[in-house]
Amino acid sequence: MTRWGMVIDLDKCVACQACTVACRMENNTPVVSPEESELGRSILWNEVFPLESHAELAAEDTGADFLTRPCQHCDNPPCIKVCPVQATYKSDETGGQVLQRYERCIGCRFCTVACPYGVRYFNWYAPEWNPEIARHLNPDEEVSPRARGIVEKCTFCIQRLHKAEQLAEEEGREFRASDYQPACVQTCTGKARFFGDLDDPDSLVSQLARSRRAFRLLEELGTRPKVIYLKEG
Amino acid sequence: MKLSRRNMLKVMAATGAGGLTFGWKAFVDRPAGLARATALRGETRIMSVCQACPSGCGIQARVVDGVAVKLEGSPIHPINQGALCPKGQAALEMLYHPDRIPGPLRRVGPPGSINPADWEPISWREAITEIAGRLASLREAGEPHRLAFALGETKGQMNDLFERFAAAYGTPNVIRYDSLSHQLVKTAHLLTLGVNALPAYDLENTRYILNFGGSLLEAGRFTQRYIGGISYTRRGQPNRSRMITIDPRYSVTAAKSDEWIAINPGTDAMLAMGIARFIVGNKLYDEEFVREYTMGFDDFDDENGVRHMGFRSLVLSEAYDLDRVAEITGVESTTIARLAGEFAQNRPAIATLPIRGGLHTGDANGLYTAMAITALNALVGNIEQPGGLLLQHEPAFAPWPEYFVDDIAAEGLAQPRIDGADNDPLAEHVLQNLGANLNTGEPYAIDTLFLYHVNPAYVAPGGQRFTDALENVGLVVDFSSFMTETAAHADLILPDHTFMERWQDVPWEGLGFAGFGLSQPVVTPLHDTQHTGDILLILASALGGPVRQALPYDRFTDLLQYRIGGLEDADWETLIRLGKWGHGPYTFAGRGSEEWQYIVGRDRRDAYRDGRFDFWSRELYYRLSGINPADLGIKATGDEVMLPHYEPITYHGDEDEYPFILNSFQLMALGEPEYTSNLPTLQEIIGMHVGVRWDGWVEMHAEEAARRGLADNDRVWVESPFGRVKTRLKIVHSNHPEVVNIPDGQGHTANGRYANGRGANPNALLPPESGLAGTAAFSNTRVKVYKAEE
Amino acid sequence: MALPRNKYQELLLAPTRKFSRREIGILLILSAIALWGLFVYIHQFINGLGITGMNRPVYWGVYIVNFVFFIGLAHSGTFISAILRLVGAEWRVPLARAAEAITIFSLPFGAGSILIDMGRLDRVLNTIIYGRFMSPILWDITAVTLYLFSSVVFFYLSLLPDIAILRDTLPDDAPAWRRRLYRSLALGWQHSAEKYRRLEKILGAMAIFMTMLVVTVHTVVSFIFGMTLQPGWHTTILGPFFLVGAIFSGSAATIMIMAVLRWKFHLEEVLSFKFFNYMRKLLIALALSWSYFMGVEHLTVIYGNTSEEMSVIIAKFFGEFSATFWVMAFFCFFIPLVILLTKAKRSIGWLVTASVIINIGMWLERFIVIVPSETYPRLGYDLGHGLYFPTPAEISITLACFAGMALLYMLFTKVFPIIPVWETAQEIPGLHGYHGFEEDEAEEEHAEAPEQIPGYGDALEAGHA
Repeated sequence: MTRWGMVIDLDKCVACQACTVACRMENNTPVVSPEESELGRSILWNEVFPLESHAELAAEDTGADFLTRPCQHCDNPPCIKVCPVQATYKSDETGGQVLQRYERCIGCRFCTVACPYGVRYFNWYAPEWNPEIARHLNPDEEVSPRARGIVEKCTFCIQRLHKAEQLAEEEGREFRASDYQPACVQTCTGKARFFGDLDDPDSLVSQLARSRRAFRLLEELGTRPKVIYLKEG
Repeated sequence: MKLSRRNMLKVMAATGAGGLTFGWKAFVDRPAGLARATALRGETRIMSVCQACPSGCGIQARVVDGVAVKLEGSPIHPINQGALCPKGQAALEMLYHPDRIPGPLRRVGPPGSINPADWEPISWREAITEIAGRLASLREAGEPHRLAFALGETKGQMNDLFERFAAAYGTPNVIRYDSLSHQLVKTAHLLTLGVNALPAYDLENTRYILNFGGSLLEAGRFTQRYIGGISYTRRGQPNRSRMITIDPRYSVTAAKSDEWIAINPGTDAMLAMGIARFIVGNKLYDEEFVREYTMGFDDFDDENGVRHMGFRSLVLSEAYDLDRVAEITGVESTTIARLAGEFAQNRPAIATLPIRGGLHTGDANGLYTAMAITALNALVGNIEQPGGLLLQHEPAFAPWPEYFVDDIAAEGLAQPRIDGADNDPLAEHVLQNLGANLNTGEPYAIDTLFLYHVNPAYVAPGGQRFTDALENVGLVVDFSSFMTETAAHADLILPDHTFMERWQDVPWEGLGFAGFGLSQPVVTPLHDTQHTGDILLILASALGGPVRQALPYDRFTDLLQYRIGGLEDADWETLIRLGKWGHGPYTFAGRGSEEWQYIVGRDRRDAYRDGRFDFWSRELYYRLSGINPADLGIKATGDEVMLPHYEPITYHGDEDEYPFILNSFQLMALGEPEYTSNLPTLQEIIGMHVGVRWDGWVEMHAEEAARRGLADNDRVWVESPFGRVKTRLKIVHSNHPEVVNIPDGQGHTANGRYANGRGANPNALLPPESGLAGTAAFSNTRVKVYKAEE
Repeated sequence: MALPRNKYQELLLAPTRKFSRREIGILLILSAIALWGLFVYIHQFINGLGITGMNRPVYWGVYIVNFVFFIGLAHSGTFISAILRLVGAEWRVPLARAAEAITIFSLPFGAGSILIDMGRLDRVLNTIIYGRFMSPILWDITAVTLYLFSSVVFFYLSLLPDIAILRDTLPDDAPAWRRRLYRSLALGWQHSAEKYRRLEKILGAMAIFMTMLVVTVHTVVSFIFGMTLQPGWHTTILGPFFLVGAIFSGSAATIMIMAVLRWKFHLEEVLSFKFFNYMRKLLIALALSWSYFMGVEHLTVIYGNTSEEMSVIIAKFFGEFSATFWVMAFFCFFIPLVILLTKAKRSIGWLVTASVIINIGMWLERFIVIVPSETYPRLGYDLGHGLYFPTPAEISITLACFAGMALLYMLFTKVFPIIPVWETAQEIPGLHGYHGFEEDEAEEEHAEAPEQIPGYGDALEAGHA
């Protein structure tokens, strides 16, 4: 089995937010108005935020001032249990990503409340783009703009997995783990992000996950995230 | 002969009959068909170069059905190696921006109007006819110097094209924005190392980085290069580098550093000298290097037998007693000693310069600060070494064709520059002076002004002066893609392509080895825009004569291909496929080698090119000959003038009335071209570290805010002796208490729907004066901050 | 066949005889508010939940507060009619229907608030098609639906004889719709002793079931918070705490309703002060229990002193929610307790004042349980840390819910007797086991007297006076 995971080295991360923007461009999350974003309704699947005020992580002594945070793609995700319509699920056949069925979500926002990492985003209004700017939207089916009133989230760029598999097939070769990486990993300015198969003990992510600097967010909750951080230093 | 309207008509008639002809057809830059196509869904990937900031990262555009839908970093480009920062990621919003100027416009309304009704679309033919006629008449009238160019970030062949056009036409007035950006870094290198270029650092091999005031990881000139290098060294113990940031502001770079030194503003030179004192006093410096390859370390006699003080004597003098250094810098003497010890003993260690940061102080402080920091690198001999200061090599493009400088051109070129750069022995470009000089008409009036990728009305201190001055210019032509504050005052706007629709070579900076990225169109231009290079070439061909002789190309791509053709193993098709050409890795010029002798001192104009680093700057000595240093605002006297030293900044504004020192800083989210502030996604992430989106702010230390009864998010006025701006207060807990920080890039009054009217422009608070080397005054202004009545 | 003998029969049935002009006016005003709310909701449905003040991380706002509050309110009825029935507290009898009507009419607004809060009401059937029973929301849907259904049955059964009485005593000039309504709803009820006996038996049995349900439902309501890992929510005490809170606010609401009925429908003789005094004592007990849970919950958290829990506590005690929190604490406990122990002994007015304060306090309590925990999730955010404040749209819809509930309640009192006629009857012919209501009164009062706190007797007398 493949179990896709990500390692984020906080020593290398420079809080540039390239991941944030790359994610938007890849996954078609809408720009929200200044008033909306002041309310905290920005839809940025991969946010970077300062840790200054957060005692919990300071106590972990990450040494970092900033945290960049995609969906943690927990192996034991609290969001899935609470969904009344099975709209969110863990996709074991594609390697364990926690995904959302947009067409089924009823917008009760239980998952957004239940996620201890706050990685789930709600469409308070129907997403809107300036018609000119909308031309650059990613045409991939998997990321076609979502509807109003539903929850959306990081998918580890599942569309890229689909394309990579298709490409491997067209080129008549075996699919390799290195064929697939999410947009944030690809763009990372500090090369702080690593992506690969956590079930392969020799993969780079597995090796890094065994580093003495490795930790996971809110590890004590038992959510078993597949995003692993490395402390500074 | 004055160029009256009647005369001009005559000249136009004459030239029209006598050969003012040009071939005009609308050029369409199509993406080259050679782009690498992937097998998938008929998509193509086109290599190009991002120009949303000066870094010059390679990009790879994903194009589906002729629409660019994603930009990625080019994995084979040595600057970014696959990475791409938020500005580059968001650049598609610029390409498909609703505020782009769709075609040539003539202003029919009042100057400064951003109302579309005040602008009338015109045809390219009409616009070019008008400009060509005007330039022809001007030259005919023997006044070619009355044409001026103001250039922003202008890379590679475009820069050469402007300079060549100007030189052949006969005007000395090519004014780049360096004085607002990175001039002092180059000047400091020229005066010490003898190389008039920006530094390159071999960060990958460095063990210790002493970062003086630079926001290296957010807004250096080549941010991505710094991030790539520094993050490479952070790969776990035991190889991990250590980085110390010295900055009154707790920037993101400071946060990412291993140590942050909240130094008193403007005293970096003092600290550098204190560190040098400890290194020299304890003999921790590289003795061989200092003895063999430097000049002016020890006291020396000149050819006239006059005794001069050397660097050693200066740093060991009373003036740089560690206790005094500690008092002035606010850094404890034990810390200074520790930093000095670490720096000298963790080699290769490097002291880095800020690109703008606090260097452009409006007086002599900045230049000597930069020299003092550079001197630290020389003390530990860390020049042209692995992990040290490198020299940026340039590609050897094909030589330009010869041309004949006619009398008109020669006379024009002999005229003084309109920005007064020739009045200062060190200045090259003084863009901020342009406003004042246009207003007074001294030394002469400008007839035609071309503005390329520059927005002085916003970015120059005292920008308002600039917009007023534009009314004194006969014809102002702006090549801007967006309606900037300056463009709104232009008479004609001839919109350039965005970089995703444009051919352009982007030479590498900050890497050391020579090379360039090739920017090529990733989509067919969306609007009726034209490459400014093509327009200049059409003008050149219309003008004929020496200008055409200097630029015998029909299209910018012809020029580009000709120049690139001169490079060894540069093949146009490979270049298009890879999007870059270059020769790495860097080869270090060994000390005393032939290459060393060539490099060190290469750009000295007056002093010996003898392969020696100058602690005592001979170049400065010669340049200042016959000039009283005090006239240039240098406070030191005697030999100290030639040596790196500390000079206190003279601040504008009384300390009692204006308790804070203003520090304008740059953000990761906003690049140097100001249209980045008009990209909605960048506005949404702009102030992540203080929790601000879609707005500007001023940062103040919590205790100072509490003392003034100010709360987080209060609307406040920030007032200097030169103006006041209203913005939002953000309370920060780590900051020098005497400093308030305003981000550069917000506070636009034009520039597009997403940028206009957000936050405050710090440049509006600054004095419109110039310091040593013609640099603008960004950090010598005091301000007060008080609550705004709503 | 003879009707149950109740000397207050005409008094109790009087409100059902006609609408006064003023009553019609009030009904129109309530309808207008409810319709405005409906209009706002349609707006919200079309445009999205963006018109609310909800944000990230406060994903749930007053709609969910209303949900918990209305469900809580509903508990009073079942508590008074079922639980007190089981323990044989006969003083509950005249209050039971008024209380239970609160259950019937607040439950739909509780369940409705969940629907209002949903981003995509049009997909609500997905909960059945794709339902995941691990989700506490489905537990809620099941429990609330069952609760609503059982309450309606329980309520209807106890109403049945009175509908028959209405049918049998309807004046000749009564409008035809009333005649048809009563005839069909009475289901052919005959006032036979056998039927009354059977009814009592069924109601007694249902009371056991309802008692279990009342405990379950509100515990399950608490689970939508308690089952998450959020600080402040993830605690086992939440279930009983919600339950006590529910009964507390429900009982206070019952007092308010009783006072209004007594005043408007001139039921002073039936709803004598004695009943209010029972409720007063109940409220004292509930206020003490509530504060007990409150204290235990906070003490445990504060003593544990984990940083994420403390950030919620600090926000509640001293931070941006402190005003709300302390108002809540004073409204739920200190102020009502003082009133209940002093002024309210003699005055229904003061008792009602205390009840109103308690209900405001309990609404705030729901708010304080829900919003601060969301505002301070485990992972702190400095970005998008919006302070939640309800928008006019949410306030409109909230008011509409209250107006809608009042409207339904009022209509009910105008069509059916809100004080049970048959259960307060002095005699039901042929039913020998039936303890005539009035006869027991004095005895019961006497039996309780020794347990009374000092001064109680005075109050009782004052009430009778």
